[in-house]
Amino acid sequence: MKRRWVSLGLSLLGPVSALLISAILGAFVMLAIGKNPLQVYAVMISYNLGQLDSIGSIFYRATPLIFSGLAVAIGFKAGLFNIGVEGQYYLGAFFASWAGVYIKGLPAYIHLPLVILFGIAGGVIWAWLPIYLKVKRGAHEVITTIMMNSIASAVMLYFIHDVFMDQNQGTLGAPRVRMPPIQPTARMPTMLGFLHAIGIDMPNYVAINWFLVLAILAAVAVYYLLWRTPFGYELRAVGQNPQAAEAAGINTKNIQYQAFLLSGAIAGLVGLSDVLTYFGYLDIDFPKGYGFSGIAVALLANNNPFGIILSSLLFGFLERGGLGIQALAGVPREVTTILEGVVILTVVTVTAIIGRRVRAYERHMAALATAAEPPIDTQAPGRGQ
Amino acid sequence: MAETPLLTLTGITKRFPGVVANRDINLAIQRGEIHAIVGENGAGKSTLMRIIAGLYQPDEGQIILDGRRIQMRGPRDAARLGIGMVHQHFMLIPRFTVAENIVLGEEHARGGIFSPREAEARIRELAAQYQFELDPTELVENLSVGAQQRVELLKVLYRGASIIILDEPTAVLVPHEVEELFANLQSLRQAGKTIIFISHKLDEVLEIADRITVLRAGRVIGTVPASQATKEQLAEMMVGRPVLFHLEKPPVKLGGPPIGVLEVRDLTVLGAHRREAVSGVSFVVRQCEILGVAGVEGNGQTELVEGIMGLRPVARGKVILLGRDITGRPPSTIRNSGVAFIPEDRQRQGLVLPMSVWENAMLGYHRATEYRRGVFYDLGRIKDRVRSLIRTYDVRTPDINGRVETLSGGNQQKLILAKEMSSSPTAIVASQPTRGLDVGATEFVWQRLLAARAEGLAILLVSADLEEVLALSDRVIVMYRGQIVTEFVPGTLPATTIGEYMLGIRRDTPAPVGGEKA
Repeated sequence: MKRRWVSLGLSLLGPVSALLISAILGAFVMLAIGKNPLQVYAVMISYNLGQLDSIGSIFYRATPLIFSGLAVAIGFKAGLFNIGVEGQYYLGAFFASWAGVYIKGLPAYIHLPLVILFGIAGGVIWAWLPIYLKVKRGAHEVITTIMMNSIASAVMLYFIHDVFMDQNQGTLGAPRVRMPPIQPTARMPTMLGFLHAIGIDMPNYVAINWFLVLAILAAVAVYYLLWRTPFGYELRAVGQNPQAAEAAGINTKNIQYQAFLLSGAIAGLVGLSDVLTYFGYLDIDFPKGYGFSGIAVALLANNNPFGIILSSLLFGFLERGGLGIQALAGVPREVTTILEGVVILTVVTVTAIIGRRVRAYERHMAALATAAEPPIDTQAPGRGQ
Repeated sequence: MAETPLLTLTGITKRFPGVVANRDINLAIQRGEIHAIVGENGAGKSTLMRIIAGLYQPDEGQIILDGRRIQMRGPRDAARLGIGMVHQHFMLIPRFTVAENIVLGEEHARGGIFSPREAEARIRELAAQYQFELDPTELVENLSVGAQQRVELLKVLYRGASIIILDEPTAVLVPHEVEELFANLQSLRQAGKTIIFISHKLDEVLEIADRITVLRAGRVIGTVPASQATKEQLAEMMVGRPVLFHLEKPPVKLGGPPIGVLEVRDLTVLGAHRREAVSGVSFVVRQCEILGVAGVEGNGQTELVEGIMGLRPVARGKVILLGRDITGRPPSTIRNSGVAFIPEDRQRQGLVLPMSVWENAMLGYHRATEYRRGVFYDLGRIKDRVRSLIRTYDVRTPDINGRVETLSGGNQQKLILAKEMSSSPTAIVASQPTRGLDVGATEFVWQRLLAARAEGLAILLVSADLEEVLALSDRVIVMYRGQIVTEFVPGTLPATTIGEYMLGIRRDTPAPVGGEKA
């Protein structure tokens, strides 16, 4: 039991020390633009944690990132780099919007789940071609998914602007490039009613909604799938050593196929929190970039589903805090973007360094435990010539 | 030896995070001797040699060369002092010529122009001086392993080394090449060079060395003159307890005539670049029998094994298990029908290193329903089973939740053995089962294979270690360029003859018309 706490502590050591280091590096950025970093951080923290709407906003911002991080992590676990979450969630959002607008006459308890399934289907369809090409032809998924992202954004624009544009936007002003409004039966309700009921007085303009709960449930499900089922076992084995997996009788291509489609399925959910709750329609200014942020989220969490929830909240915190320091401390938003980049860079380097130390420690323990054998390390770091 | 030693190490200690690889090492190397360093894996031989070669700096202690204390910051310093190292894994560029490889990094250029002629002439001279057979204009990729090793040796000599360190030089050679290497080393010694020879093969060490130093657990156990040492004595110094060299291989009594368990009929398997790596191989492994496959590595053994296990498509022929055709079935089917598999590269094919010990202990059998409750794994039951498994197979690990990569090579192999043999197979395909293992772990693997044989299993044993094949097998086949060139019972052929079969100098079966493409 003690070991378990030790190893949990060690696994948190990386991200936490990386955060501290990036805070220090971020301070230099602020000094460079003539701001007092302590003051800026103080503003960020008080703005973010001192008011209820900020906290609600952080959770709302984290919601798509949890889905996106999970989608990326499943790919990584299977040894696949799904850069295509971006395009997959565009398609998911479009599919869901279509079903939300044009399938009519269903009660909410059927319509909403159906719309969510359409979102999943959109992600799966867009993930299918890259993995098909990978398994059949050996085309690298990084290349194909990047291409699919470009195609997705053009396709979505075409659908919104040329095919399904809302023609009934009234006569005032120029019409917006967007699809017709999603029917009320397909809208995801906010959590405000629930929060008020349990005594949290969340302001009404905060779009925190039930996709948050769905995202957390998805994280739990992914955890169980990966670490408690034969499929997850095979997926991880394929990701870490395809050759050994194959020798053990695992059909590696099949596993990669399924893993990637699953990744696409979760990617299909990324955009729904925005579309089905906040906007209520799909428009051309629909938020972009969650797919790329998901890569950072998964990286920061070392692909651990629970870590993904935490790192999504961290990114939500930075985004929200960015608004705060812009408004209250006069720090441009770009500084927040820099901060996010710094966090990712330090996490990647720091966890690599700490991981090496931890493995050396584990090896040492293993050597000590093999009582009859001397504590000699045959794979000491740096020995690999 | 009244002479002052050429190289003296005193109190050398080297630590890595969490471990002490060398502890207070004292060692004296005489001028012009062949000094062998022996010890088990992890005894600290390689670390010590890397210190002498300037690749590591010791944490404590001194190195005295020719009466002067030296400090080296890297291999270039060592080279300047006349110390050179031939690594176990060659560091050659296949598409370069012998001469280009040798001068690499030391090219003499005149007016910015490198003259290969000049380099070739110097190398020819050098090779003649030590009676090395080598053509400097040949491409390294066309050379045999033995010749590549000569290139590495010349590389060191070219840089003016007077002390040459060889790290397990015979591990990659066939018997015939070992003899050549030893002849080369003798002539180097006659020319006044000092040689430090690392090995764990005691017979070879006794044959070539003048003096032998034994390391164990990072310490020097002792230095003995080879003329006064015995194999048993050295082994005991290495392991810390007496070691049995004589394997008990009792004849197994059968109720009736032996049944063929695993049969391969006219099997052809394609290798890299769609070349035939295995061409029309046929054999039967019977119950209670170990069939050994000997041969220089790269003569189709890997492809043969992968063809049998379904890991590589079979171009022609059949693989039959107990009368059932399993040719071209997926690996999972072949495993489930009772073929256990010990892959040649345990770290790449046998284990998923970043995964835990318990997860690796069910690799390949992870779909078994007894591991599950409903759709989810029953971790309690799995771990109980793994604990009893590793107890039976003496796998030493502090914690089955730890990563399998933290285990020593011997313990990793024991874990593979444990999971494969506990699946009640009818046949075992074992490829290089003791590669890289120390004496103790090798002994364990051998005993387990013999025990499986006594229980009636049919075992196909592929190994590049001829001694191992001869010690364990009931019958041996030799593979050369994808074909079986002879079959014999161990003890009926002298080692030199076997070596000739392995090198393709001799064959019982006619060579195919038109010859093989190399």
